[in-house]
Amino acid sequence: MRKKNDNNQRLLAIIPARNEAATVGEIVRRVRAVVGSAILVVNDASSDDTSAQARLAGACVIDLPSQLGAWGAAQTGLRYAKRNRFTAALTLDADGQHHPEELPTLLDGWRRSGANVAIGTFPQRLSLAKRLAWRYFRLLTGIGVQDFTSGLRVYDRNAIRVLASRQASLFDYQDLGVLMLLRKKGLDLHEVPTVMSPRRSGGSRVFSSWPMVARYMLHTTVLCFAQFGVRGRFAQARAATHA
Amino acid sequence: MSAVITTALIGILMATAILYLVRRDHLHGSYALWWLAVAAAALLLGIFPQTIDWLGRITGIAYAPVLPIIFGLGMILLRMLKMDIDRSRSERQLRRLTQKLGILEEELAQTREAIKPAAADVGPPRAKTAQVIPLSKSGDA
Repeated sequence: MRKKNDNNQRLLAIIPARNEAATVGEIVRRVRAVVGSAILVVNDASSDDTSAQARLAGACVIDLPSQLGAWGAAQTGLRYAKRNRFTAALTLDADGQHHPEELPTLLDGWRRSGANVAIGTFPQRLSLAKRLAWRYFRLLTGIGVQDFTSGLRVYDRNAIRVLASRQASLFDYQDLGVLMLLRKKGLDLHEVPTVMSPRRSGGSRVFSSWPMVARYMLHTTVLCFAQFGVRGRFAQARAATHA
Repeated sequence: MSAVITTALIGILMATAILYLVRRDHLHGSYALWWLAVAAAALLLGIFPQTIDWLGRITGIAYAPVLPIIFGLGMILLRMLKMDIDRSRSERQLRRLTQKLGILEEELAQTREAIKPAAADVGPPRAKTAQVIPLSKSGDA
């Protein structure tokens, strides 16, 4: 089940899935064909046979007894990664918007940059609302990432440790809160441009309607104030002395 | 005179209700202490409402009756803040427990899978060995 890949790193591919029975099996097979790492599907209390489809495709499956949301499921995977001493973890969505074929590009960009975290983004995909929202949050946080909600990410061992902690348990999405916490802990981010397709089934969880957008903007703004801490430079200096 | 009786009645009623509920032991530690203090305050202010006038004179507030109202509102707000903090803490704990449960269930299944072939080699299980009970597919929990 667990293989070492070429760079002597134990990589775990985490696929959070909720009611994705139609696509999850195919995604698992494609990830295995492209990356060849251990694959963990975190089934977020689906009501369809997501879990069975993922098992059938040969993934290791964690069935959550109750729904935890996108980040809760992803964090379960990261805790599993920490517990089983994986040295890197990548996350991608089960709905087919992230192409597993893009993973080598992402991993390559991540290794070459030497950053703790790499985010795969696809700026062309963003709607006007998202583009405006991200510009606002870039101003607010000073984190220069094109797409904050992209679930296509690679985390190294330090990032896994930070994100598996209790401190990261109250986030709802794998977005700004997660990035701000990482920055607060002195970890650095790197963005890798990738190709994504529009979601096949279901819309964006965050940007489904205007009231939802307003809610999200408000929540995330509050989160920004709550997480506002040491700016990157200090944190990085601290990390350097620790290393 | 009747006003004093009214306030005393209200104070005694409140204190008894709180005491009764606390005595039923549904409250966890510090909560019980908090509510006992509230009961004591209700009893004191109900029976001796002149305490409020005295407090008004001390603090220099001309309209003394507003004092317990402001104080009470402040305490309620603080209490609500504390409640939300506690709820956030339980939510965090609940999420982490749910995650841990999922992870352990998966590990248990893997371990059982690993044990199964070994058990088959040994032959039929002896009388007193532990039985492997197959877990029902989760998702129904």
